[in-house]
Amino acid sequence: MNTAFTILAALTVLAVVCWPRQGLLARRREARDLAARARREDTLKHILKCEAVGRVATLDSIAGALQITTSEAAELLDELESRDLLTFESGPLRLRPAGREMGLHVVRAHRLWESYLAEQTGVAEDEWHSRAEKKEHLLTPEQTQALSARLGHPMRDPHGDAIPAADGALENDHDHSLNSVAPETPVLITHLEDEPETVYRQLAAIGLRPGMRAFVIEKSAARIRFWADGNEHILAPVLAQNVTIRPLPEFQTADLIDEEFLSGLPAGRSAHVVGLSPACRGPERRRLLDLGFVPGTLVEVELTSPAGDPTAYRVRGSVVALRREQASLIRVSSREGVA
Amino acid sequence: MNARETNAGNPQADVIIAAALRLRRQIPGDLHEHIVEAIYGQAARIVDRAVSRPGKAARPTFDRTLDRIVTSRLAGFPIMLLVFALMFWLTITGANVPSALIASLLIDQANPWPRDLAIAVGSPWWLTGLVVDGMYLGAAWVVSVMLPPMAIFFPLFTLLEDFGYLPRVAFNLDRPFKASGAHGKQAMTMMMGFGCNAAGVVAARIIDSPRERLIAILTNNFALCNGRWPTQILIATVFLGALVPPSLAGFASAAAVTGVAMLGVLLTFVVGWGLSRTVLRGEVSTFSLELPPYRPPMIWQTLYTSLISRTLFVLWRAVVFALPAGAVIWLVANIHFAGDSLAGHFIRIVDPAGALIGLNGVILLAYVIAIPANEIVIPTVLMLTVAVAGVKGVGAGAGVMFELESTSAVRDLLTAGGWTTLTAVNLMLFSLLHNPCSTTLYTIYKETGSAKWTAVSALLPLAMGFLVCGSVAWVWRLVA
Repeated sequence: MNTAFTILAALTVLAVVCWPRQGLLARRREARDLAARARREDTLKHILKCEAVGRVATLDSIAGALQITTSEAAELLDELESRDLLTFESGPLRLRPAGREMGLHVVRAHRLWESYLAEQTGVAEDEWHSRAEKKEHLLTPEQTQALSARLGHPMRDPHGDAIPAADGALENDHDHSLNSVAPETPVLITHLEDEPETVYRQLAAIGLRPGMRAFVIEKSAARIRFWADGNEHILAPVLAQNVTIRPLPEFQTADLIDEEFLSGLPAGRSAHVVGLSPACRGPERRRLLDLGFVPGTLVEVELTSPAGDPTAYRVRGSVVALRREQASLIRVSSREGVA
Repeated sequence: MNARETNAGNPQADVIIAAALRLRRQIPGDLHEHIVEAIYGQAARIVDRAVSRPGKAARPTFDRTLDRIVTSRLAGFPIMLLVFALMFWLTITGANVPSALIASLLIDQANPWPRDLAIAVGSPWWLTGLVVDGMYLGAAWVVSVMLPPMAIFFPLFTLLEDFGYLPRVAFNLDRPFKASGAHGKQAMTMMMGFGCNAAGVVAARIIDSPRERLIAILTNNFALCNGRWPTQILIATVFLGALVPPSLAGFASAAAVTGVAMLGVLLTFVVGWGLSRTVLRGEVSTFSLELPPYRPPMIWQTLYTSLISRTLFVLWRAVVFALPAGAVIWLVANIHFAGDSLAGHFIRIVDPAGALIGLNGVILLAYVIAIPANEIVIPTVLMLTVAVAGVKGVGAGAGVMFELESTSAVRDLLTAGGWTTLTAVNLMLFSLLHNPCSTTLYTIYKETGSAKWTAVSALLPLAMGFLVCGSVAWVWRLVA
């Protein structure tokens, strides 16, 4: 009886540990394989990104990007070369076609997944990047393609980065940073660099988003003071370096300052909707459009809740209450003749 | 990409696709946004051209004035409190008479009739017991306790809704709900929950944002429903009212019941806050609240629809679940093996666990078999206490639910069953914090379509109930 029980127990333990695909050993191996693949793919991604901005990836830059030691990075490069994904015999690191394709797929999967999180879920903005960092290694090219189709083949991710086509190339259009513009020049923020993440979090925390209009008020070696969609911000140049911009030659700074947002409108006043802020995305944006907050619509401030928030607006004959954060995403103009 | 593959070999198609891709890259921003905005803009232009509203003000002054008053800083909240206090008072006092009437009709007078019939056609005693004393009595009980308050509360609620006042309540109360990650409209589903949680869960349909709707559904159980008010009032009167001088007894018991209900409201916010930051993170969330124009309520139509769509709907589900529950109650008290009834065995086994959290085995069993309807908890507790404590001279026999006329009789019986003030306090807390009734659970399953959320809505309050009762018992024993 006792022996039989012991054997049964031993068999159970053995099964739990060694069962194919479900056992502890198999799961551990799977996790290790995934981690190794993630390291390889991250290396290829790093080299590809360096290439796109015209820098050359080195052993040190790889070790820094992946947070591993240089000797580990060297081992990794050896492995990648043996898989015919890259070559570094003739001097600098070069991606082989298979390696380029793999790196491009990872970048594409990452940016598509960020778009998905932004457009179709309620995941908070500061989690997009870290979630996509994991997901990019799990999506197959077919799944990535299906995701792209489901999102309507977006061109840019929520940070403003171009999403490369499956057979395309990684382009770099981040030439001008906020540091490079002269004061009082209207610009459009086109991109916020999402790496390193701590920097991105600071940029996102002060409310910067791609698609905002901005101009520099003054700058010195230590700090740069600028205006963006109604608010003044101060950044250190090292942070401003990660804000990519495009000049807006058709605007004057006065046009920008005159912009108003629905949240700033006092009770009883009315204004025409100019548009929705780029920070308003996905379901939230569609909902506001559904309610009639489309360019040209006349909106009147009707009532404020006794608690101060939300506020009710009259739009297209119906009264709709919006919270302050939502109203601050709606650009309006109370001047006559603008529609 | 696919188009390019299928058109391989057609050079003209390639040129067109390449041109389309090039042009698309030149469009700034999101292409779909532009299309959607253009569609809305076009629709608005068509409406402006085609629809004329001759001689009608954009918004009646009456609406404006009323809105100013009911959402004003000064009068907004007092008006709200007054309206709801009136509604609850009407429901509770108004339901007493018809409840007693239906009870005497269905239970005292009509009960002998099916029993005589059963005996006349020669059915064996166990069949008579199962069908008449179990199933019929269970369903009759639920109908008599449930129907009158719902038949008053729901039409009143619907009248306020039709008139347009409830959206203004949501507007006034959005701020605190927002702080807990929920939607102002949850004030309405919560109110509905005070009538019936199943109806409250259905009412959560008015919240169109997925995350806020789930919060409203999962926390609706913390609104003390109509099936639990009688339990609260009875226990508070019998045990807590007796702790203070008779002149204050009414006030003390009323304060205790209100306290439990307020605790439920507080937990609604706390649990909502916790849910939105843990399991519901990542669910889509958007806010919008329409304030429709005021309308004179159509009283007869409202009465009809609220009776049909809410009252009868809930009642029907409750009866469907109460029939088998009645049968189970009768069976556990009447199936005997190894020298005791099923109920007796079960109570003996769980009694130590019940005692640990300041309850007892009878209460735990009552809450298991009364899952179909909270209304039958007290009758079941009384019946089981008689059976277990072996009290003579009260009750209507094994497996037959009953109620006692005087509060002192209830007190004597429960004290004989080993009840203390701690048991009473914990029963009131457990009545607030336990799984929703099966009607509500089934409704949650239908509304969310998810076994996972149904399980969460059942287990979360249950775990909280055990935790709270256990802590109260621990502190109580430490102090006393």
